[in-house]
Amino acid sequence: MNYEVVIGIEIHCELKTKTKMFSGAPSSFGNEANTNTNEIDLGHPGTLPSVNKEAVKKAIQACAALHLEIDPLIKFDRKNYYYSDLPKGYQITQQFFPIGKNGYVYIDDGDTKKKIRINRIHLEEDTAKQFHIGNETLIDFNRAGTPLIEIVSEPDMTSGKQAAQYVETLRQTLLYIGVSDVKMEEGSMRCDVNISLNKPNEGYGVKTEIKNLNSIGNVQKAIDYEIERQSKLLDEGKTITQATRRYDESTKTTIEMRKKGGSIDYKFFPEPNIFPIRLLDEWVSEIVNNLPELPEERKIRYKKDYNLSDNEINIYISNKELASLFENVMKYTDNAKAVSNWLITDVLAWLSKNNIDIVNCKLQPKELASLIKLIDEKVISNTQGKEVVLDGIMQGEVANDVIKNKGLQQVSDIGFILNLINEVLDEQPQSIIDYSNGKDRAVKFLVGQVMKKSKGQANPVLTNKLIIEELNKRINK
Amino acid sequence: MNIEEKVYEALNNAKLVNEKINAVINFVDPKEQLENLNEGKLYGMPIALKDNISTKGIKTTAASKMLENYVPIYDAFVVKKLKEAGAVTICKTSMDELAMGGTNLTACIGPVLNPYDLKRMSGGSSGGSAALVSSGVVPLALGSDTGDSVRKPASFCGVIGVKPTYGRISRYGVIPYASSLDHVGYFTRNVKTASLTLEVLAGRDDNDMTSSFKEVEEYSKLLNSDIQGKKIAIFKNVIDSLTNQKTKDMFNDLIIKLKEKGATIEEVSFNDDLMKAMLPAYYLISNCEAASNHSNLDGLRFGVQQDGSDTNEIMINSRTKGFGPLIRKRFVIGSYGLFVENQDRLFRQAQKVRRLIVEEVKECLDKYDCLIAPASNDIAPLLDDHSRDELSDHYLIAENHMVIGNFTGYPSMTLPMGFIDKCPIGVNITLKAFDEVNMFNIGLAIEESTGLKDLVAKVI
Repeated sequence: MNYEVVIGIEIHCELKTKTKMFSGAPSSFGNEANTNTNEIDLGHPGTLPSVNKEAVKKAIQACAALHLEIDPLIKFDRKNYYYSDLPKGYQITQQFFPIGKNGYVYIDDGDTKKKIRINRIHLEEDTAKQFHIGNETLIDFNRAGTPLIEIVSEPDMTSGKQAAQYVETLRQTLLYIGVSDVKMEEGSMRCDVNISLNKPNEGYGVKTEIKNLNSIGNVQKAIDYEIERQSKLLDEGKTITQATRRYDESTKTTIEMRKKGGSIDYKFFPEPNIFPIRLLDEWVSEIVNNLPELPEERKIRYKKDYNLSDNEINIYISNKELASLFENVMKYTDNAKAVSNWLITDVLAWLSKNNIDIVNCKLQPKELASLIKLIDEKVISNTQGKEVVLDGIMQGEVANDVIKNKGLQQVSDIGFILNLINEVLDEQPQSIIDYSNGKDRAVKFLVGQVMKKSKGQANPVLTNKLIIEELNKRINK
Repeated sequence: MNIEEKVYEALNNAKLVNEKINAVINFVDPKEQLENLNEGKLYGMPIALKDNISTKGIKTTAASKMLENYVPIYDAFVVKKLKEAGAVTICKTSMDELAMGGTNLTACIGPVLNPYDLKRMSGGSSGGSAALVSSGVVPLALGSDTGDSVRKPASFCGVIGVKPTYGRISRYGVIPYASSLDHVGYFTRNVKTASLTLEVLAGRDDNDMTSSFKEVEEYSKLLNSDIQGKKIAIFKNVIDSLTNQKTKDMFNDLIIKLKEKGATIEEVSFNDDLMKAMLPAYYLISNCEAASNHSNLDGLRFGVQQDGSDTNEIMINSRTKGFGPLIRKRFVIGSYGLFVENQDRLFRQAQKVRRLIVEEVKECLDKYDCLIAPASNDIAPLLDDHSRDELSDHYLIAENHMVIGNFTGYPSMTLPMGFIDKCPIGVNITLKAFDEVNMFNIGLAIEESTGLKDLVAKVI
């Protein structure tokens, strides 16, 4: 039997701010446990929250990029529950008045574009991170208080593929506007999926929630599995249990964690320590109008400004660091085609061979532009560029220095080249005969010989030209 | 006497007095403070702090078993301000557990006794601080005021109790009771010191988003007891619910003297139903906020931890054993009021009542400079007095009207009004938001009228 699939997604996304949502402690990933905390993050008695302006700004950027209406009156609420990873015994969130509501994104569903509506975006703080080792529970409070936005979609998706595209579209967008690292594997973007099946023309079925999906691939796989599982149960006339499930990567199945019976009463009420904050219209407009470029906008610009192929553009869209390197190199040259060729083939190959990330690479953008120019001007050959100079500039060297130090400079001194040519011609009388018999191949051979004698430094084009002149001279004698 | 001698004498007196009145939770060694003394406005003044004010490296228990071993890793904003001003803390004072109470009977170390009569209460929740100032040990002690927790014990102990406008003094570092009602307040023995103290404690603190950016005035230099033309409103509902004729007469005498000083005095009545709803509304708001505020006290990261098989059980056991019965009762009431099925008709309804009361008071203070009433119906109750009828008018209104200062956040001050049976009773004034200059000036006029200044109870 065919069922209609209804999928909604909640995404928690850590905002990339220097400090935490309500405290001045640093907000960064990967530091030693319990070093990025202060009395506020630990929920010590007497502490009070102060709203991080930068986090509000980033939430506004996210709202603008995802077309949400922004509420200019920022209000926070308390969500009360006891858990060892929640220092205050409540989380400060925006239950009653989210910062943004009623937005949307378009996802590419094959040939057509599908609109996925976004119900709301709200600001809140993250909990601490727990580790269970044997019978022990260890808590790292570094994450406690990290600013989060929660993005809640409408139930507009109908397949695992659409869900994966939705998450990817959000990931790219948030990455582009710089509000988050959106690294699912590090937990800076976390994904919970709600899914239910129903027969056509019937109401929504019982939904299950799959929590904490840690990659876009798993979003799709977990949903595909869950659709199959629920279909089978319904086919057999069984009912679906409302429950929270998790995706198990080893068995590629979803596993029930807990049933959702009577839901917890979080006793939400307005946070008394933060008065409602009225955002200045000018401040909001300034943020919205200066929104960093979105992926869609960049695609159009790359086509228009650089005339790159769709293939190249897609590579840049999905690799933001490469795109930013591309733009930096383009500050020093007009030759987009050549820059793009070098980056997509040679530079990526070099990085992969040397196992270095783009962000850690020492290449100065200007030097790649120089390299391209030096080859264009025939100061060095293309082969020398790829084999020798690239390696140097990728390690932070200046192209001209590499050429000088490695003795690569092409020699265009006519006298010097002529000397070599005559030496070669004297040594290769057969070639002169071949040439006079119309075998043009002989010229190529001779150029090769001259290059060899010059240790590759002789300007090959000039050498070619001079050899033909010399050959003609000798034949006409 | 030099500063060091003065401070050590105060510490010594505190120890002697404490044997009689049980007002201190921890004594503080002043040595380090004396070595790093700032020549500020309170240079060398020995002071006491209510034990819910966080002091870095010094135990801060809020008189709760739960926090018996808690040593803050930071100083409250007011503690920093006091250090800058050169004050020297000599002790942390007793209080009702977690500042929830008006008797000071619920402190984990037992009740604070009234310096004027050891059989009586000091009042609470800032009873320890009130009693130490009353006993002449220190000229200044800090407290906190959520319902009337500074202004009521001030009345019972014969001292001045000040609660400035909400947001005038940062609450950062003060262990809360109910955030929307909590104020830092303090006790002194005269208006001059009271006005000087606010200059030190007031000011914007970025750690408390509810603290005001308003400039702090030089209250002590602006002191002026000329109240010619000031319009004072007698809080009629309170007068009508007084049952003690001596209190009424004493209040009337004061009113006559204030008229003689040129003040225009009229009676003002508020909606009686609202006045009767005030205390229930207060209980709901304060307990709901408190139940949430104190959820951090779970024994996991600080405080007294009880055993348990997992973190959840540790939290349950720590909270069950860590709090006194009154606190547990209030947490239950608070949680009940916040439940999704109750919140509209309890917590939210209480907030509506609060708003209506605020509107009435605001309307009154748009026309008058200040609202005046006796701080209490009677002198401090006996320690074993269980006779109070919590639903009677005189309890609902006469004993608890000062909650208005917390509902509105308006500045409010209690001053000694007179004595009944050798025990003091106070008068309370409440003014417009941020009108502390007038509060001290009218307070000074009252001080001159009563002649009750620098009172000291003979405890030792």
